[in-house]
Amino acid sequence: MDYILEMRHVTKRFPGVVALNDVSIGLHKGEILAICGENGAGKSTLMKVLSGSYASHEYEGEIWIDGQKADFTSVAVAEHHGIEMVYQEMNMMLDASVAENIFVGHLPGKLGWVDYPRLYADTQQILDEIGLPIKPREKVRGLNSGQLQMLSIMRAISRKPRIMVLDEPTSALTDQETDLLMSHMVRLRDSGVAILFITHKLEEIYRIADRVAVMRDGQMVSLHQVKEVEKRQLVEEMVGRKIENLYPKNQPQIGEEVLKVEHLSVPHPTVKGRNIVEDVSFSLRKGEILGIGGLVGAGRSETLGAIFGQITGGVKGKLTVFGREAHIGCPRDAIRAGIGFVTEERKKSGFVWVLSIRENITLASLSHMPKRYIIDRKAERVRAQAMSDRLRIKAPSIETRIVNLSGGNQQKVVLGKWLLEEPRILLIDEPTKGIDVGAKAEIYTIMSELTRAGISIIMVSSDMPELVSMSDRCLVLSNGRLTGTFEGEQITQANVMRAAIAQ
Amino acid sequence: MKTRDFARNLLARNELGTIMPMALLLIVVGFVNPSFFAANNILDILRTASFAFIIAVPITFLMAGGGMDLSIGAATSLGGVICAFALKAGMPVAVAILLALLGGAMVGVFNGLIIVKFALPAFIATLGVQYAINGIIAITTKNLAISGFSSAFKVLGQGKLFGAVAYPVLYALVIGIAGHIMLTRTKYGRSVLAIGGNAETAYLSGINVRGKQISIYIATSVFAALSGVLQAARFASAQPAAGSGTELTIMASVIIGGTSMFGGTGTVLGSALGCVLLATITNALIVMNVSTFWQNLIFGVILIAAIFIDKYRRRASGGE
Repeated sequence: MDYILEMRHVTKRFPGVVALNDVSIGLHKGEILAICGENGAGKSTLMKVLSGSYASHEYEGEIWIDGQKADFTSVAVAEHHGIEMVYQEMNMMLDASVAENIFVGHLPGKLGWVDYPRLYADTQQILDEIGLPIKPREKVRGLNSGQLQMLSIMRAISRKPRIMVLDEPTSALTDQETDLLMSHMVRLRDSGVAILFITHKLEEIYRIADRVAVMRDGQMVSLHQVKEVEKRQLVEEMVGRKIENLYPKNQPQIGEEVLKVEHLSVPHPTVKGRNIVEDVSFSLRKGEILGIGGLVGAGRSETLGAIFGQITGGVKGKLTVFGREAHIGCPRDAIRAGIGFVTEERKKSGFVWVLSIRENITLASLSHMPKRYIIDRKAERVRAQAMSDRLRIKAPSIETRIVNLSGGNQQKVVLGKWLLEEPRILLIDEPTKGIDVGAKAEIYTIMSELTRAGISIIMVSSDMPELVSMSDRCLVLSNGRLTGTFEGEQITQANVMRAAIAQ
Repeated sequence: MKTRDFARNLLARNELGTIMPMALLLIVVGFVNPSFFAANNILDILRTASFAFIIAVPITFLMAGGGMDLSIGAATSLGGVICAFALKAGMPVAVAILLALLGGAMVGVFNGLIIVKFALPAFIATLGVQYAINGIIAITTKNLAISGFSSAFKVLGQGKLFGAVAYPVLYALVIGIAGHIMLTRTKYGRSVLAIGGNAETAYLSGINVRGKQISIYIATSVFAALSGVLQAARFASAQPAAGSGTELTIMASVIIGGTSMFGGTGTVLGSALGCVLLATITNALIVMNVSTFWQNLIFGVILIAAIFIDKYRRRASGGE
């Protein structure tokens, strides 16, 4: 059978990283092809190549449509070939109606006038087809994120595509909405539309996909008929890479319990009535690295945010820190209780870019400085310099602005900011996100040194080898629930992955 | 190579936006009318700048901390009017001034609450406060100036040290030095800069972001009221519209002085230069016998240039 869409030997490089490595794959008319893989396997890059977001000269390889080579120089060219994308994040005009949002850019009518009766009729028809109980005239602002996601899918459908690409469309949907979407995707397929379905939910693959491709580290590692492959094999293929030896893990000296979290629930930030963290309980012991694994959106960062008092609204649960019940209403409370938090987004919430290394590194420990109101400049310089030396921050001087540093050195400054504050519990969200291998190894060394000094660490990580190698104990969250706890030999990539995709 | 480095260093200075136009201005005016440089004239410029600078100091904190306040002009008028009413009611000078500052503090508390606690956009919220205060002033004064103060009060604005340096210049000097030290040397100042640079990071680093922001709004209104009191003393009359329009010129002076309107950077010294620059332009035009209508045009051009420099500087230093 001929392919309606084919990628041939596509390679996309970023500075220092190969995001897609010689990827070739074809899509048939009237099939659903699922692409699955871990966080960072290259799924989103693949999607941007197909959408024309990366122009054809920005990558190597070719795209063929209907057996002919196509030159995707822009998004418009891809659309012209009948490709429609549905992204995870939604771009909606919040104060326009449902109908206007679905048909934006393709409003019916002539001479610049919109034919509103027809617009509403057409919209009603699409809504009926899918079975979504909203009205064409309704303002979009009042809709929840699941309904918004459905709208962006309908927007794509309204353009009568030949090829649809969906990027984890169900992550914001309720079960009911997921059912509606799944059955409509099947209907679209049966009417001849080719669908590329990016997901990491195996259940959905088995439910509707015809074929499944597994991506890992930017490469297409396998392609199966869904009927002929077992779940276990897919999981192994998703994680199965060799582990590099950059983890200087030493025998931990694990002591008494320092933090206990009981029945923690955190409301979903956008979906009303749903929790992103659901009844999670665990404890942390002295000198331990407790890893938290799971997929993006499983509620890992929110768990840390709730412990640290970053997220407060609607959070339920009991927190015991060093044997005493703690009521943490803001980060200051958490800091006073001996907790520090290295967030995932350095630039957004880790450092202040207009300030220097010195000013950033002392930011969390200003209250520990010798004088009460005045900053003792000499003391500040000495402390900042000592921490900079200890973490081997590479910069011309501690007066260098932090924006001028590499990602790894910025991360060290953020880490140093907390170490100067001398917390006894350190929460670290994605400790090595976006930093090079050399700096990674240094950060792991620092983490090991900290635990040896009796500091306890909770580490959220999407980097499987890092999670498996650095954790003394490892929790796994899936859809906000605790689906696995592993210790010692049990911490394997396959175990973690299985728990991460458990429903 | 050397000169390029020099140029870059100069461009990186926060106060550049004021130093260059000021130098240019001084050269031109000096040619046209050398009497511009007479000691008396210089002292007069400083006195004019002082009334604005007293407000510009807390505004520097406010803007460096990422805030803004359009109600300062109204708070200035309010301070003068409250003080005048109190004096007319026979209260002692100290009590009258205290009442005026208290009135300013109430404006600041209100601003702080609605902007920080209830997260209203500062621009619109303080614009509303500006209208409301101006309304209250108009109702209570029937838009008539209040005058006839005792000399014990007037001397606060009219007196001169050694018969040369006007008292307001001295107050401004003290407030300016205190502000400079606070912004550059204290934990409070560092926290303000961190909040302006990245409020989320500051909050997660344990800084009491809201408390600091509210305290700055209060300080801003209190100093605006103080400036209003001093202006009433200086002109021996409390004008209901004493501060009208000054909110924008003062914020412009602060921006010209190198405080980023996006928050995160700012110096009190720069704000002082910005205020002096504005007073100098006005004075220079008078000395050169040019219509004062030109003042706004020139100041506008300098303001736009200053924002350009601010934007360039942020790009050059690798920010957004």
